[in-house]
Order: sequence, then C-alpha cells, then structure tokens
Amino acid sequence: MDYVNIFLKSAFIENMVLAYFLGMCSYLAVSKSVKTAFGLGLAVIFVLGITMPINWVINHYLLSENGLLHIDLTFLRLILFIAVIASMVQLVEMVVEKFSPALYAALGIFLPLITVNCAILGGSLFMVSREYTFGESVAFGLGGGFGWFLAIVAIAAIRERIRYSNIPAPLRGLGIAFILTGLMGIAFMSLMGIDPAALAAAK
Amino acid sequence: MKGLLNFLKRIEPDKEKRPVLHTFYDAVFTFFFVPAHVTSGKGVHIRDGMNLKRLMVMVVLALQLCYLFGTYNIGHQHFLAIGQYTGFLEGIHLKLAFGLIQILPIFIVTHIVGLGIEIYYAAKRGHGVEEGFLVSGALIPLIMPPDIPLWILAVAVAFAVILGKEAFGGTGMNVFNIALLARAFVFFAYPTTISGDEVWVAGLESMQAGAAATYSWAHLSLFNPLFESLGWATFDPTASVIDGFTGATPLALAAKGGWDAVTQVYSPAAMWWGTIPGSVGETMKPFIIAGALFLALTKVASWRVMLGMLLGTIFTGMLLNAWSATPFMEVPWYYHLYMGSFWFAMAFMATDPVTAASTNVGKWIYGFFIGFFGLIIRVLNPAYPEGWMLAILFMNVWASLIDYMVLQRNIGRRMARAKQAST
Repeated sequence: MDYVNIFLKSAFIENMVLAYFLGMCSYLAVSKSVKTAFGLGLAVIFVLGITMPINWVINHYLLSENGLLHIDLTFLRLILFIAVIASMVQLVEMVVEKFSPALYAALGIFLPLITVNCAILGGSLFMVSREYTFGESVAFGLGGGFGWFLAIVAIAAIRERIRYSNIPAPLRGLGIAFILTGLMGIAFMSLMGIDPAALAAAK
Repeated sequence: MKGLLNFLKRIEPDKEKRPVLHTFYDAVFTFFFVPAHVTSGKGVHIRDGMNLKRLMVMVVLALQLCYLFGTYNIGHQHFLAIGQYTGFLEGIHLKLAFGLIQILPIFIVTHIVGLGIEIYYAAKRGHGVEEGFLVSGALIPLIMPPDIPLWILAVAVAFAVILGKEAFGGTGMNVFNIALLARAFVFFAYPTTISGDEVWVAGLESMQAGAAATYSWAHLSLFNPLFESLGWATFDPTASVIDGFTGATPLALAAKGGWDAVTQVYSPAAMWWGTIPGSVGETMKPFIIAGALFLALTKVASWRVMLGMLLGTIFTGMLLNAWSATPFMEVPWYYHLYMGSFWFAMAFMATDPVTAASTNVGKWIYGFFIGFFGLIIRVLNPAYPEGWMLAILFMNVWASLIDYMVLQRNIGRRMARAKQAST
C-alpha cells in the first residue's frame, strides 16, 4: 500500500514537470508530436525506474557512513549518480537504435540528452533527501517517470491540436508551449493536497 | 427593422481608419441582422443563419433563469443572515434590488474588461469578434462569489482572456475553459476572496453575530426613496447579523462532519431549490437542469458529456461509499448531487465544445473522468472545498490526448479491416 501511495503521489500529485518543473528541456523540445513524445516518455520511465534503485544501492552501501567502506563519501554522490544515469541512457540508446531506427532518428540529440535531464538526477536526489527505502525508491522512480510520460504525451497532443491555430507570431513554437505548461500546471494543482498516506491511515 | 438597418448603415465607422470601433460595430450589427451570405451556385459550403454567434446566444438564453434566481438568492442570503424576510417571497423587491446592486457591477466589469480585450485583438487580426466572449462573459459572473472585489475580477478576466484565449489564437482555439480559468486564477491568487465561510453572503461586515449590514449609496439613496414612495418595505441600515448564522456552504459542513452536519443547517429541499449560500448561479438545481435540457435538445451542448459526467460521479460516489473512511466519504452518493455546483458544471462548463473532446467516444470518456476527478477532489482533497472547476480544467489537459487515442484506434481498426479485405 505504501508503494502504491508513493507511485500515485509522484505520478499525479507531485508531478515532476508540472509541479517541480524538472526536465523541461526535452519536455518542450520533443513534444511536437505524440509519437516521439510517447517514445521519449517510455525511455524516461525506463531510465528513472532503473537508475533510482541502482543509485539507492550505491548511496546506501557505498557512499554513506554506515556503508561497506565506513567512510562518508557523500561528496561523490552527484558524480556517481550522473555516471549511472549516463550508462543507463547509453543502454536505452542502443536498444532504441536497434529496434526502432525511426524513433531514434526522431528523438535525435534528445535521447542522449536524457543523461542531463534534470528530472532524472532530481529524482535520485529527492530519493536521498526523502530517505526512501529500496522498495520506495523503485516506486518513486516508476511513478515519477510515469508522471513525466503523462505530462509530455498530454502536451504533445495539445500541441498537435493547436498546430494550425492562429497564434500570435512571436508566441509560436516555444512561447505558447511555455504558456501551455503553466496553464497545465494550474490544472494539475487540482490534485495537490491529496495525501494518499493519510487517507490509508484514516481507514 | 428597416429603420434600424438604415440607422446602423448610416453610423458604420470606417474600417481602415478605426479598426477597433468597426469591430465593435460589426459585433452589434450582426446581433440584429444575419449577414447576407447565401449559398451560391459555386462552392461546396452551405451557409446558414445558424452561425457561431447564434449558437452562443442559445447558451446565454439557457443561463437566463440562473441569472434571475442568482440575483434573487444574493438578496435572500443577505436577508437570512440579518434575520429579516426569511420567507421565500417576503420582501422580494428588496432581495432583487439588493442582488441587482451586487451582480450588475460584476457583470459590467467582466464585459468591459473581457470584451474590450477581445475587440482589441479581433481588430488587430482584422476579423469580427464573433461574440467569442458572449458565453464566457455570461458564465463568469455566475461562478463568482457575490462579494468579489471588482479589481480582482478584472485582473482574473484579463488573465483568462489574454493568456487562455488570445495567446492561443482567439475564439475556438483555446485549450482551457476561459470562465474556469478566470475562476481558478482568483482561487489560487486571492484564495480568501473565493473560499471559506465569509465570502458567500454579500453586504455584511463579517459573519459574526452582531456585525452590521453595509449598505451603499445605491441602497439607501436610490432604492429606499423609490420603495418608500410606493409604500413598500425599505432597507434597514441598522440591521445586523443574527446569532447562529455561519454562512458556511453545505460542502464546508460536509467536509467537517459528513451529511449529518449538513442537514442540521440546510434541508435537502433547500439545497435542491437553491436557497443556500454559494456562487451566484450554481445553487438552483431545477433551473440549471432546465437549461441543460434546453442545450441538449437544441444540440448546442453534448448530451454524451453530460451523461458521462453524471455516470462518472455516481460511480465514484458509490466507490467512496464503499470505502467510507471519513465522514465525508460516507455521504450517500445521491446527496453529492445536492451539494455544490455539480449541475452547473455539467450543464455549462464540461460541455464547452471547444475544450471538450470532440470525438463521440472521447466525449463519454471525457465526461466520465470529469465526474471521477471532480468527486475525488471534492471528497479526498482537504485543500479544496469543491472539485468541478479543477476537474474540468484537469480534463481539458487530457481532451486532446483522448481524441488522439480514439482516432488512432479507429485508424488501426480500419487498417486491419482493409488488410483483411485485400488478402
């Protein structure tokens, strides 16, 4: 039940994009069509879901003072986290290139750039600061990725719809995408404040 | 009519020199006369008098009963609070006059700001306003609390029209419902003016017992002499709030103590007939349902969205009843239809054809999830008293995606059929 709570919370209530505005670069750049957005969203779910538990293990057994080395190595956290993320992204890139060359071409530079997608590193750092257990970090990774996936697919569908709208010239492209993201953030505030854990406890 | 036409033709401003004025003129002109476009021998388009403007006027017509009762109810709530004329028809002239003094400025400010921006942008783009603001302008006063400060209203309307609509390309291009965006802006930027127990009854210093009623120049110097000369009752400037009046809405009570707490203050009949505090137009359920039927029968609004939303609400209500962890969850699902603005949201907000899903299957899904999320937010989210505004904005985000999926599924099905036929 705890894991379900964390999953729902990170996917809907504290959405990575629309509540924390993390991972905006690829979110804005790849959201022109639903198909590519769908592919990138899946890639982010995978990377977040894999790196989170790996980073948890590294943080817990290698870096913390109570770990195997008994030295406080937390200053290496950022660099190790990024290394893990980069290697996972390499893996995803190879898989995508092998099985879906069209998607690989469509995503272009933004697939390797998942490495520096702030949602991924942000997720790992949230995991540390919120002191999640291993299981919770898996749920948080998958939930956060799923929330990011939902947000990018939703904005891609809207951007496909407004492609032929008579938008004022200076706002076309990124400008309207920023406004749209802000308005979507207002809409997502509807779920903010729901606390699944408290509801489960009330039972 | 001929005289009017001649008069309007004579005062037509020059389109080149004064584009803004001409746009405004065009808006007024097409109110009275259908443009003389007819289907000619060439071309495939059928021209009909049933254009966007007349479509929108239908919605405004459906809202008139809500306006009438809303005006009355602003006054009724005020007099309930000070313990005068508590009967339904007692002092009705006072209640209507009081309501009018409250709602007229709201209506005027909404239109000056909203329509002003609209006309400006329409003139810049070089096309008519097409009454894009007619429906939003009629809806916004109905979903605001009667005591809203006018400058906050003006800022909210400007925000919604500029960022929600003009940035997206004007009428018919907006992604989010304009009226709800204006309300959500007030809700998040100035929460104390639109939530809590203090805001739903107008014309009082506060809801404490003994707080004085505040009457303006219009009450005391305009209407009082008029009523006096007719021999009717007048506003009493010495009146004050009676003991035991809280101004809390049924939803605020239900969130604290469940259905029992609600029925101690309001009877189900009062909630159904709308003599309760709330936003201006949301309280009188039968009038709203009449408007909904009118819109559904004239096919202006989609009955699929309405029915989907009703089903979604009932389903979620039953689900919450089965869970029943808090007193609010134990409120029987059918009583959720008595409280808050469910019917208003269903009839006029969810069915907005621009922001809703546009495929038929999509409309069912869209409506169902509005019902689902609306009740989830209302019951499970302690931060917000009511859920429909936010649920509809939330589903506006997904409407395009729902349409996309429905279309893709259809394409896939037809592709499979075509492949089967060709082999």
